[in-house]
Amino acid sequence: MAVTLDMSAPAGLVSEKQARRSIRADRAFFLLTLGSATLVVVMLLGVMVSLVIGAWPALAKFGFSFIWTERWSPVKEIFGALAPIYGTLVTSAIAMAIGIPISFGIAIFLTEICPQGLRRPIGIAIELLAGIPSIIYGLWGFFILAPFLQTSVQPFLINTLGNVPVIGVLFGGAPYGIGLLTAGIVLAIMVLPFITSITRDVFLTVPVLLRESAYGMGMTTWEVVRNIVIPYSRVGLVGGIMLGLGRALGETMAVTFVIGNSHRISASLLSPSTTISAAIANEFTEATGQLYTSSLVALGLILFVITFAVLAAAKWLLIRTELK
Amino acid sequence: MASYSRRRATNIVALSLAGFATFIGLFFLAAILVTLIVYGAPAITPKIFLQNTPPPGSDGGLANAIFGSVAMTVIAIIVATPIGILAGTYLAEYSRGSKLGEAAKFINDILLSAPSIIIGLFIYTVMVVPFGHFSAWAGAASLGLIALPVINRTTQDMLGLVPNALREAAAALGAPRWKTMTHVIYRAAGSGILTGVLLAVARVTGETAPLLFTALNNQFWSTDLSRPIANLPVVIFQFAMSPYNDWQRLAWGGALIITAAILVLNVTARLLSNIGASK
Repeated sequence: MAVTLDMSAPAGLVSEKQARRSIRADRAFFLLTLGSATLVVVMLLGVMVSLVIGAWPALAKFGFSFIWTERWSPVKEIFGALAPIYGTLVTSAIAMAIGIPISFGIAIFLTEICPQGLRRPIGIAIELLAGIPSIIYGLWGFFILAPFLQTSVQPFLINTLGNVPVIGVLFGGAPYGIGLLTAGIVLAIMVLPFITSITRDVFLTVPVLLRESAYGMGMTTWEVVRNIVIPYSRVGLVGGIMLGLGRALGETMAVTFVIGNSHRISASLLSPSTTISAAIANEFTEATGQLYTSSLVALGLILFVITFAVLAAAKWLLIRTELK
Repeated sequence: MASYSRRRATNIVALSLAGFATFIGLFFLAAILVTLIVYGAPAITPKIFLQNTPPPGSDGGLANAIFGSVAMTVIAIIVATPIGILAGTYLAEYSRGSKLGEAAKFINDILLSAPSIIIGLFIYTVMVVPFGHFSAWAGAASLGLIALPVINRTTQDMLGLVPNALREAAAALGAPRWKTMTHVIYRAAGSGILTGVLLAVARVTGETAPLLFTALNNQFWSTDLSRPIANLPVVIFQFAMSPYNDWQRLAWGGALIITAAILVLNVTARLLSNIGASK
């Protein structure tokens, strides 16, 4: 990395001493940047190692059955991760089911329909949703959304969809306000800006030539989006969705407010539940005994493995579309 | 093939739905901001900045929590900024095309989106357990670890925008590489990198999950960084979940303060990057 010197020191202009100092400074700067970059990598490894070490007592005691045991009893020191895993997956699934169509809609609006002058302001407004901290979503979800759902939406769901065979199970029980559905809706709002901004960016990678040719063939705007834009940007879209999913899986505070924190699996989406991150946030400081703490860290390890896999897949897909 | 009128009808329905989706997104933003102002504004009095968090059922402010949040954020950013910029420099300038560099970029991006509660667990293990108590230092460390990948990533992006001609020109003048970086490239990318730092501050300001078990909370004014310290997000969480009206009112006030601060940071960062882009 000191090669620049060949150019920087024509004979006679720079004394040998200056040149040597220059090499040393170059070397030092290089090592400094290398060290910083290494530190970032070491941090991630540190996170992994510390989680495995912290989770070890619980994993050694319960083995793999930790993953599919539902029981969570701090008093009897029996811990199983099934309920939080279930809650995490179901809330994220609801968030995706609601968030993806809305995000796609916004992206289509911003790239195809919106008047030029409004694109930036609307785009910025949607991105501001990403700036609002998760605790604010939690506060809003708990004091505004949950009571609203409890008094108007949930009774309606119970009385209509609740009576339909098969899917009726999903909407049974009492309207608690807080629970899986509420958490899913809050998460959907939170992932909106992430999925929207990536969707919009990959939509814009579609060559103008393709787009214009399609219009020239007489396609309507919707047909262009459906038959040209979406197929062309398919891989990037999946990448954006995965990135949003990674966010939803790991989101903590917003969910902690509205999930109800109950280690139980019930079929109804209206019932209180818990997620991995909410369980850790709620119980970690109060956990007594090594096994309890260790079980919570083991939950964290599971969450880390899941999000790592999802984010890595997202990254890989987005690199393939050369949009990083 | 469907008839033309049918295709046109489909088109109108689909595009209206897209417009409706945009309305929903904007509606939620407005709903959240309006709620914050309606519930939070009455709590914003001079008292909220001057008095400490009260015991349940009495009046008070958030002075100690605001101080704790600012102190931890400042420490986190002071530590994370140089490391983030240097790491970004290595990944953008020195490791171009190398496998190892690509891997490090990948890992940084994973760290960027990793759940913050996991970062909290990590800092708890390495900084709280060994010392035997929660501390402001641990809180600052967890915030710093969240800010680091943000700064690293924006630095990479911003250095990537600096034209190669500048590097070549500096090299042709005989400047060694470190001098090229510090005197030419950093200046060219300066406003962009600053944007990254501001975004990192915005990101860190609202973080709650990692502080729950690193900085914990403190009912009193404390400037001792080796003890637990009050901070806005955790106070908001605790007060909002409490049954006391006074506490809930303060929680809304705190929420408004935090959100306003973050939105101002975001807008400033945007303006800065616009200035940088139009230069």
